[in-house]
Amino acid sequence: MKHLSLLAAGLLFSAGVLAAAADNISVQDPYIRLAPPNAPATAAFMVIKNAGDKDVKVVKADNPATRVTELHTHINDGGVMKMRPVPAIEVKAKGEAVLKPGGLHVMLIDLKAPMKEGDSVPITLTFDDGSSKQIDAKVVRPSPAPMPMDHKH
Amino acid sequence: MSERILMTIAGLLAALVLGLAIFWQPELPERPLPKPALPEGGDFTLQSADGPVSLKDFRGKLVLVYFGYTYCPDICPTSLAATAEGLKQLTPEELARVAMIFVSVDPKRDTPARLKEYVTFFHPAIVGVTGAPEEIAAIAKRYGVFYAEQKVETAGDGYVVDHSADTYIISTAGQLVGKIAHATPPEQVVETIRKHLNQP
Repeated sequence: MKHLSLLAAGLLFSAGVLAAAADNISVQDPYIRLAPPNAPATAAFMVIKNAGDKDVKVVKADNPATRVTELHTHINDGGVMKMRPVPAIEVKAKGEAVLKPGGLHVMLIDLKAPMKEGDSVPITLTFDDGSSKQIDAKVVRPSPAPMPMDHKH
Repeated sequence: MSERILMTIAGLLAALVLGLAIFWQPELPERPLPKPALPEGGDFTLQSADGPVSLKDFRGKLVLVYFGYTYCPDICPTSLAATAEGLKQLTPEELARVAMIFVSVDPKRDTPARLKEYVTFFHPAIVGVTGAPEEIAAIAKRYGVFYAEQKVETAGDGYVVDHSADTYIISTAGQLVGKIAHATPPEQVVETIRKHLNQP
């Protein structure tokens, strides 16, 4: 009994000191761009905010709607857009990472079934300390304007 | 007083002559043109789901040409969404004088039928075309378009295609007259289209 309470106290203590990266992360306006017919892949975009004092890296993303999920970026090489996988997306302490068309994005490859506008897909982000966070991303039609998600705070 | 001014002028002139003698390098190449010349562009004929499509079919219309592919995960949808939104902002009269062609840079995977469904999703006025790899390569070269397969294990069938993401503007007379940069906002697309439509 004594051991158990010690263990419990210990766990509580470590939870307080070793706050998981996921606890400091909030995700704003996540959305998935509706893939055009016949496009086997699409991308998810969002703003990842880090309220903590330590830089956090997103090292992995996962979702149940496609067979593969990767972290990608685009390099604009003299007007030629080159898409490349990245090992991680860094979110600076007290900073944010903006995932947007033409730049960083979560790449959803090989759709298991066509997505519909308005669908919601759970995306799990895993951070460099092993903690993770699940977010729900709405499927929206491609739009050139900033996404019409609610910006009310 | 006037003598001094004269002397000064003479001195300046002497300095100028001396300077020219030292720094004048007539064999230096001409100053580069203020604007880089556009590639030659020109006519082409490729296959759409509804039969062959030639650029010259559209004489009298302003034609936008975009080079992309249906497996394109982000860049093509971003460009096409912006351009399509620009087209939607035109008046019906203006839109009747504009055409848009989407040329596949991935002829191995893009069939005419596949392209048709893909481009119609963005705007019904866009025509998707493809052809033999050599034909596409020749057209791309004339338009100054770069594209190259890039191996990405997890991408559909193992590759993506790096490609120029500009939209090419072809005048009503069939001349390549300009480019719209990747992800140009719709308002600017409209402005550019109107500028070219209103040119004599």
